[in-house]
Amino acid sequence: MTAQETKGLARAKALYQDRSQRAKELKAEGKKVMGYFCLYPVLELFTAFDIVPYRILGDMGEPITKADSCLPTIVCPFIRSALDLGLKGRYDFFDGVVMCHSCEVGEKAAHIWRIYMDPSFYHFLDTPHTVHQNAQDLFKEQILDFQKSLEKFTGKEVSREKIKEAVEICNEQRTLVRELYDLRKSDPPLISGAEIIEVMVALMSIPVAEGIALLKDIISDVRSRTDGPQKKPHRVLLWGTVIDNTALIDMIENVGASVVMDDTCVGSRAYFPLVEVTENPYDGIAKRYLVDIKCPRTFHEANYGGTKKDYIEDVSYRFSYLKDYAREWNADGVILQSVRYCDIHGYDTPGLQDYLNHIGLPNIYIEHDYNEGALAPLRTRIQGFLELIG
Amino acid sequence: MSEEKKKKKAMNRLKTMYALRANIDQNYERSVEAVKAGKPAAWSMVNWWESDPILKAMDIEIIYPENYGAVSAAMGRAQKYLDRADAEGFPTHMCGYARNGIGYAAEMKELGHIPPDAPMGGMAKPILLLASGALCDARIKWFQSLGRYLDAPVWAVELPHPGVEESQMPGVREKSIQFMVKELKELIIFMERLTGRKMDWAKLEEITDDLIEINRIWYDINEFRKVRPCPMHSRDFWSCMNASLYPAGDTKESLKLYRDMYDEVKERAENKIGAVENEKYRMVFGELPPWHALKIFDELAERGWNFVVESWAYHPPKPMDYSKISDPLERIATQTYQWMTGYFADALKEKEYMGYFAYPYLEWARTFQCDGGLFHPLLTCRTATNHLILAQDRLLNKLHVPSLIAEGDIVDLKLFDYADTMRKAVVLEEMMDHYKKVRQEKGFEW
Repeated sequence: MTAQETKGLARAKALYQDRSQRAKELKAEGKKVMGYFCLYPVLELFTAFDIVPYRILGDMGEPITKADSCLPTIVCPFIRSALDLGLKGRYDFFDGVVMCHSCEVGEKAAHIWRIYMDPSFYHFLDTPHTVHQNAQDLFKEQILDFQKSLEKFTGKEVSREKIKEAVEICNEQRTLVRELYDLRKSDPPLISGAEIIEVMVALMSIPVAEGIALLKDIISDVRSRTDGPQKKPHRVLLWGTVIDNTALIDMIENVGASVVMDDTCVGSRAYFPLVEVTENPYDGIAKRYLVDIKCPRTFHEANYGGTKKDYIEDVSYRFSYLKDYAREWNADGVILQSVRYCDIHGYDTPGLQDYLNHIGLPNIYIEHDYNEGALAPLRTRIQGFLELIG
Repeated sequence: MSEEKKKKKAMNRLKTMYALRANIDQNYERSVEAVKAGKPAAWSMVNWWESDPILKAMDIEIIYPENYGAVSAAMGRAQKYLDRADAEGFPTHMCGYARNGIGYAAEMKELGHIPPDAPMGGMAKPILLLASGALCDARIKWFQSLGRYLDAPVWAVELPHPGVEESQMPGVREKSIQFMVKELKELIIFMERLTGRKMDWAKLEEITDDLIEINRIWYDINEFRKVRPCPMHSRDFWSCMNASLYPAGDTKESLKLYRDMYDEVKERAENKIGAVENEKYRMVFGELPPWHALKIFDELAERGWNFVVESWAYHPPKPMDYSKISDPLERIATQTYQWMTGYFADALKEKEYMGYFAYPYLEWARTFQCDGGLFHPLLTCRTATNHLILAQDRLLNKLHVPSLIAEGDIVDLKLFDYADTMRKAVVLEEMMDHYKKVRQEKGFEW
């Protein structure tokens, strides 16, 4: 059965299992499919140009073999995996690729991607790392340059009105994701953490408008389902690097905890921030992507420009949204996870742990190699953590 | 003893290097004394001349924890700080310089003063942590994480990183430089508020021009290294690069010392005096060396290995005409942007889309006529390592220049295998001999 023939959660699962199915169908119908890396290539632009945005992800089940011939092994295994899939032809159906300055390794891998795969369309979206007005203004210009590249590629121009319409569409999808996440607040949650990953990966593989229809079906299904997750002794919040595979969450959910909320980039981090409707739509877009997406790759600081630093004030400013998540979703512990060699998450981890300890929220930090087989040793640590929180 | 003398002879160090290096070393001590006498200090990171001139013009003592990491490693004193950073919960794979600085800051906080056994008198407590977004953006997070131990505010100055092709789009260069000028203006406003001092614009002009001139001379010195035999070894480059890269201390003094060096290198080039007695292999070195095992270059020099060029990131920008830029902030921004993107146009012609880091290896291996490369991936540094396999591939497939990878680290001495590197070096010699013939057959100039 194809993804098109199914509905709701079943369709999300089918898309999760065979991500490219729908994008290839659309390509066959004449649509352009564009691969993009990380959260910063602006979805509103793809949508306005009627391009199918397809997020480049890795594959935890696929051994990395080809990428080692152009990227060292001591860098982010997720990025190595994504590059590996590209080199193996998994993304050959793309009409083009948009990369960004997500992080240091992401930036270098972007250039390497272009050198070795030579896509027919390519754009590198530089992305500032600070959030002050000067950086937002620069990012707005960089987004406009990205738009110019797309105009040249497609041979058509898009108006501001079209961009505003795309903002509305993308915001609608984001609002529906939050509505879906709200269904995790009950005990037991109406949808499991693993199912959420399937939905998120599916959304990142189809046009935004189709994602809206899919989400509506899923929300309707989930509200009325009788086969939802069982109640578990613990409810945890999962923070950290990209999770695009159900294996880690399955492991956690199989040892006695429901993953009821996440702060990862194939999850709430990607969808919760909305674009503020502004007269000049690029103002709202630049702010949403640069300021409101809370990835450690961006430097947020309390009282920036102040002459003294208050550490607790700073970590509270940066991480208090996690306290809100924990309260709203009633999580009794936080699992901080990171792929090995992620420097930006690594620098944030001690500070985040200080903050969570400060507010009395039990937490644990685990590191993994973005590999299904390497998760087993973490099981004992998760079990130990869950026992510890009672 | 006679063996020892032989080893010293194999590499012919520049005499002017000693004075320049001594000046760099004395700057550490001067810095500690200046702060003891009440001068405010900022911890800064290598920013490629973007923020340094501002601090210097405002008479702020600049302390570079990255450089301190190298010093700690070279003196064999880094391990204690690395262990401390590990104990503080920072992952062990993270930057050795950063972990050294974190461990140091944690100990300083615990003691309430500079650790008494700290190398080179230690790093004084700062009033500011000045971060840079240049190349390694994770460094901003490093300084932020120091907030656990230091109550100094963090300020970050960014540098745009356009792609090679995107950098050629209309307006990108201008917009990038204007962005940098705004960054500098905001930094000045902040510094004035933080210190209660006013920017000395005349001094800023002078320092900016000194730094531009230092870099021009430093560039010209390195150009002489294209001559056969190469008159200056990478060891001398590394010993002296700090006066450009970390321009603490008196810029006039650095300028004079670089001029002296220029004269010496020029004389050597004109008189065919090589940095290695019998130059057999002209080598490119990839990224930062193992500071704790520099003697390996002496051993390689005995085998005729002359390191004639090294990583782009530590080299000065290509010279350009700054005379028509009246605003010193724009001159500063332009120089840094020129350094960042100076090779992009050439890289684009060759469809090499990593215009910094990787492409310069290709251009330099060609123009410096290198026989081989020794690449040193740093197991705790993504920035200095990401591109090395790409560079290795391009050198071999485009220029028929082979290279070897010797893994190690800039700080953690456990990660470098000296004996294994020497074994691999012997194998590389065979490859270099082979590929020299291949290049000749294919009509290459060397």
